[in-house]
Amino acid sequence: MSADAATHDDHTPSMWDWRRWVLSTNHKDIGTMYLVFAIFAGIIGGALSGLMRWELMEPGLQVFNNGFWGNEHNYNVATTMHGLIMIFFMVMPAMIGGFGNWFVPLMIGAPDMAFPRMNNISFWLLPFAFALAVMSMFVPGAGGDMGFGGGWVLYPPLSTSGHNGPAMDLLILSLHIAGVSSILGAINFITTIFNMRAPGMTIHKMPLFVWSVLVTVFLLLLSLPVLAGALTMLLTDRNFGTTFFDPMGGGDPVMYQHLFWFFGHPEVYILILPGFGIISHIVSTFSRKPIFGYLGMAYAMVAIGFIGFIVWAHHMYTVGMPVDLKAYFIAATMVIAVPTGIKIFSWIATMWGGSIEFRTPMMWAIGFIFLFTVGGVTGVVLANAGVDQSLHDTYYVVAHFHYVLSLGAVFAIFAGWYYWFEKIFGVKYNSILARLQFAFFFIGANVIFFPQHFLGLQGMPRRYVDYADGFALWNYVSTVGYMIMLVGMVLFFLVLIDAMIRRRKADANPWGEGATTLEWTLSSPPPFHQFNELPKIK
Amino acid sequence: MPDLYGEAMRFLTALVLTWTTAAAGALATPGQPTDGHLGFQPAVTPIMERVTSFHNILLWIIIPITIFVMGLLLWVMIRYNRKANPQASKNSHNTLLEVVWTAVPVMILIVISVFSFPLLYFQDEIPEADFTIKATGYQWYWGYEYPDHEVPQYISTMVAEEDLSEGQLRNLSVDYPLVVPVDAVVRLQVTAADVIHNWAMPSFGTKMDAIPGRINEAWFQVTEEGTYYGQCSELCGIRHAFMPIEVHVVSQDTFDAWVEAGPGSDEANAVIAEYSAARETRLAQLD
Amino acid sequence: MAGHAAKHDYHLVDPSPWPFVGSLGAFLLAVGAVGNMKGLVGADHPLAFMYGDGAFGGLILGFAVVLYTMIGWWGDVIKESRRGDHTPVVDLHLRYGMIMFIASEVMFFVAWFWIFFEYAIFHEVRTGWDGATLAADFQGLGTWPPVGVETFNPWHIPLMNTLILLLSGTTVTWAHHALQHGDRKGATLGLIFTVILGVCFTSLQVVEYMEAHFAFSIADGGNLYGSAFFMATGFHGAHVVIGTIFLAVCLFRLLAGQFTPEKHFGLEAAAWYWHFVDVVWLFLFAFVYVTFG
Ligand code: HEA
Ligand code: HEA
Ligand code: CUA
Ligand SMILES: [Cu+2]
Repeated sequence: MSADAATHDDHTPSMWDWRRWVLSTNHKDIGTMYLVFAIFAGIIGGALSGLMRWELMEPGLQVFNNGFWGNEHNYNVATTMHGLIMIFFMVMPAMIGGFGNWFVPLMIGAPDMAFPRMNNISFWLLPFAFALAVMSMFVPGAGGDMGFGGGWVLYPPLSTSGHNGPAMDLLILSLHIAGVSSILGAINFITTIFNMRAPGMTIHKMPLFVWSVLVTVFLLLLSLPVLAGALTMLLTDRNFGTTFFDPMGGGDPVMYQHLFWFFGHPEVYILILPGFGIISHIVSTFSRKPIFGYLGMAYAMVAIGFIGFIVWAHHMYTVGMPVDLKAYFIAATMVIAVPTGIKIFSWIATMWGGSIEFRTPMMWAIGFIFLFTVGGVTGVVLANAGVDQSLHDTYYVVAHFHYVLSLGAVFAIFAGWYYWFEKIFGVKYNSILARLQFAFFFIGANVIFFPQHFLGLQGMPRRYVDYADGFALWNYVSTVGYMIMLVGMVLFFLVLIDAMIRRRKADANPWGEGATTLEWTLSSPPPFHQFNELPKIK
Repeated sequence: MPDLYGEAMRFLTALVLTWTTAAAGALATPGQPTDGHLGFQPAVTPIMERVTSFHNILLWIIIPITIFVMGLLLWVMIRYNRKANPQASKNSHNTLLEVVWTAVPVMILIVISVFSFPLLYFQDEIPEADFTIKATGYQWYWGYEYPDHEVPQYISTMVAEEDLSEGQLRNLSVDYPLVVPVDAVVRLQVTAADVIHNWAMPSFGTKMDAIPGRINEAWFQVTEEGTYYGQCSELCGIRHAFMPIEVHVVSQDTFDAWVEAGPGSDEANAVIAEYSAARETRLAQLD
Repeated sequence: MAGHAAKHDYHLVDPSPWPFVGSLGAFLLAVGAVGNMKGLVGADHPLAFMYGDGAFGGLILGFAVVLYTMIGWWGDVIKESRRGDHTPVVDLHLRYGMIMFIASEVMFFVAWFWIFFEYAIFHEVRTGWDGATLAADFQGLGTWPPVGVETFNPWHIPLMNTLILLLSGTTVTWAHHALQHGDRKGATLGLIFTVILGVCFTSLQVVEYMEAHFAFSIADGGNLYGSAFFMATGFHGAHVVIGTIFLAVCLFRLLAGQFTPEKHFGLEAAAWYWHFVDVVWLFLFAFVYVTFG
């Protein structure tokens, strides 16, 4: 199907018709809504982190001093909401909802998702869940203070008896709804991937991004219901007099932590696996080589997903677990480094012997590979309960997970964004500005988060609105890094505005012979309904 | 308009400081964070010494791995970019390589485990203790109790910024500190009364959750006299950042005198103050 | 616009208001629930009947919108099915979807079993806990069931309920097989029996709950045992009710002639769901009632 023919063929509704979006049953439109939503949530989550960095720029209270916004409690609220928003409303919608919706059907040669209408409720539940979360910031939480400030992990008793107001209840229900959205999405993706592959596309010919989404949604399907159970227990402990986590009634706060992390650890792989998929495509495209060790790559993700379910208590080394149990969790956790290493080395091997072109997405991808490695190896340090005893709940952990999230997952999102931008929107972007954005992000994010390792080693605890003076220098540097990255954010919007104003028509395949997956055989943007005739895969 | 030039200069100064402090890492003050310092606080217990040396081993593993990955990336970027290598190979398999990059990480992890597990068990197995301290976390202060010395619980609260006296540290100093004799093996029992707190003392390598309804145990043996600071390390509400821990490690005699004077009282504090002053003069003479 | 010049058997669904309306319903339900539990407005606020402490207005509104969505949405699905949109491959989608949904439900029950087992098996750990900072009656919780809790005799109502559910599992299979063989009368009878058995189960469960010698919440003098027991069996009970409604809907659809021997996935899905509920009960019976009762 040629690019020109496609643009005339179907009745694409007008962009300005609200029904196109609100009533949508089109995977590409729903994907676009997810992406817009993710950007919106990313701005709010990023702004909250800005408030935190501003507060931490110097010792003493800068922001949360009953001046700009509330008191020390509201710092905790900002931290909590930052974590939750970034994870549930930015990364997950962008990767699974956005890129997953757009490209899983395209890559497997399907006309749409298996359940197009259910797809839309997966999306629309999110803005409403987000609304509940935002509302929670402005109703009473602890004492007379607004919002829930107990951390994104919502540990009781702080989240039960410690926060009496309705803020926490709103947040619980917000996460319930976001969870339902993800479970429905997971069902949809699994069905789509199993049943709607084009004739000839066996499971071992599936593009790696599809593999990555498949593993991810299985993790969602099996871990989120457990979180839902834990959240329900919190809700009844708060409102209906149960004592699941209340020692007064024989309950145990640690039990919540087990339930939470049984979800929480798979969740962190949910956040990164689609990124792995994106990076594989980009590396292969711009090296003009097929991906190295395809099967190893696919099954490494399956292995990561599987092991991800049996390592959860490495977040709980200091709760007083039996020592042999700790030993088990150390061993299991470290094992994950092996399949992850396979991925890193296979990416490099894909580039090896290639003919690499440093287009914008490739720069983000290479940045990802390096920065994810940095975050990964500090994860291996934390896996050892012996040192985690010193590092747990310090900024070392914060540095670790921002390297894999803010520099890993977010870099993968931007890589995917610039890889598929033309395909999605049908216009070209200014690649000089986009590369500049990469430069500012790369430098800025490293300056923010690298020094946090030093803070953590020195013992600076997490979730601190104010710190001892001995932590001043690195906190200051970290905040400067934030400012550098802020320039990158501005550039990101400049790229968007520039592309919107100039509207240079995109090619069907801007990347040349390296881009081999099915989405590049379609026009940019693809027709409203693609693959009316299913493609045949050799 | 913010003073961008000034900020930039401050930032550069900070960077320069990095290098100098990195070189002079050993200058870190024991028992408290040192501005610009890169690594752990100096170790003063056998546990923390082992943690530090194990972490050094880990650094010797993870830094080379990272540099290796970075080197490979740089190499492919230089050697296999479109200019240097216009025609891409189509190679996508190499069984030997795949076996190697599976097996070598496995071996590295085994090496890590060999060092990791002994440390874990060393921390966990509490040796014959000289006495027990019970720490209870409250929103937002600590309560300490010495059951073996029949010292009832006394409360240890942070000194507010405006009340700080000479030599006290903002956000770290408390009114009635914990006191232990040097070289004594202390069994620490930790619990909490309201929400979860965490008794963390970086230079001891101690970090134990204080969970309502549970008693967790840890141990430490401080080998150097001095004053050490730690902080609550589990989010516990609005004043989580303001319930620090201060431990004075003193001679056995001073400790006995302190117990005698009744911990949690000004008299007891006076015993400690006198001791610290004497010690400082002693140290000053040594220099 | 569906199937516009399409040369494939997939079902491209028409634009639909239900996802948005349903999401709005979920939102209203959540706000209503928080209003009811905590009170989002003061007692003299004009909206107090909706979102005041203990008010049911907001809950009812949210529930109504959700219910409206379910009726509208599934009504559309039935219409599409009758229109012939459910080609064999779409039918397969529905099967996958239902299986995955049940898988996620299983994981939801994992949470409740986990918490029950934790407290049932590791109760000794808590005897060593710090009673001093806690309430005096805490010590009683070092055994399982806790001191003073008089549990149910599993061989009375629970056993009866087990037999009822097992029997209902066979009647629903009977209904399904009868339908497959074109025996509509048998199918109808089988479904009627299943629904009646479902109602019997629920009724007996209600009777059992009323006879309970332990309470759900501390407020009523209960403790952890009651909480864990009632949440696990209660969520199961809720699933029985949903399953019964699902089967009843299938019964009506059968009577309305909507199922044929070849095409009746609605009934099969209901049967799968019913078997799932059945299996969960077997676990509850074996562990909650018998082993740790
Ligand atoms: C995208 C998210 C993501 C990812 C991918 C990871 C990956 C890993 N994480 Fe991380 N982690 C988080 C997100 C993530 N984490 C978050 C959010 C938290 C904090 C939660 C909170 O408390 O709020 C956390 C916390 C956390 C802890 C708890 C710390 C504490 O609270 O005390 C631990 C401990 O074991 C840990 C370990 C690991 C390990 C071993 C990996 C491994 O998967 C990493 C594997 C990768 C590599 C090792 C690099 C590449 C491999 C090679 C180049 C091969 C050779 C390498 C070796 C032989 C070592 N993580
Ligand atoms: C994905 C997760 C994610 C991301 C991206 C970030 C990004 C950032 N985080 Fe985040 N952070 C968390 C997850 C994340 N964080 C979590 C889970 C916690 C723990 C919370 C807790 O303790 O409970 C935490 C805690 C945390 C702390 C510790 C607070 C404390 O303990 O007191 C700090 C402090 O500096 C911090 C800073 C930052 C900064 C400066 C960024 C900057 O990188 C932010 C800049 C903004 C962006 C990079 C977003 C840009 C993206 C978009 C705009 C969307 C684009 C979308 C498309 C293109 C489709 N974070
Ligand atoms: Cu106590 Cu934090
Ligand atoms: Cu983890």
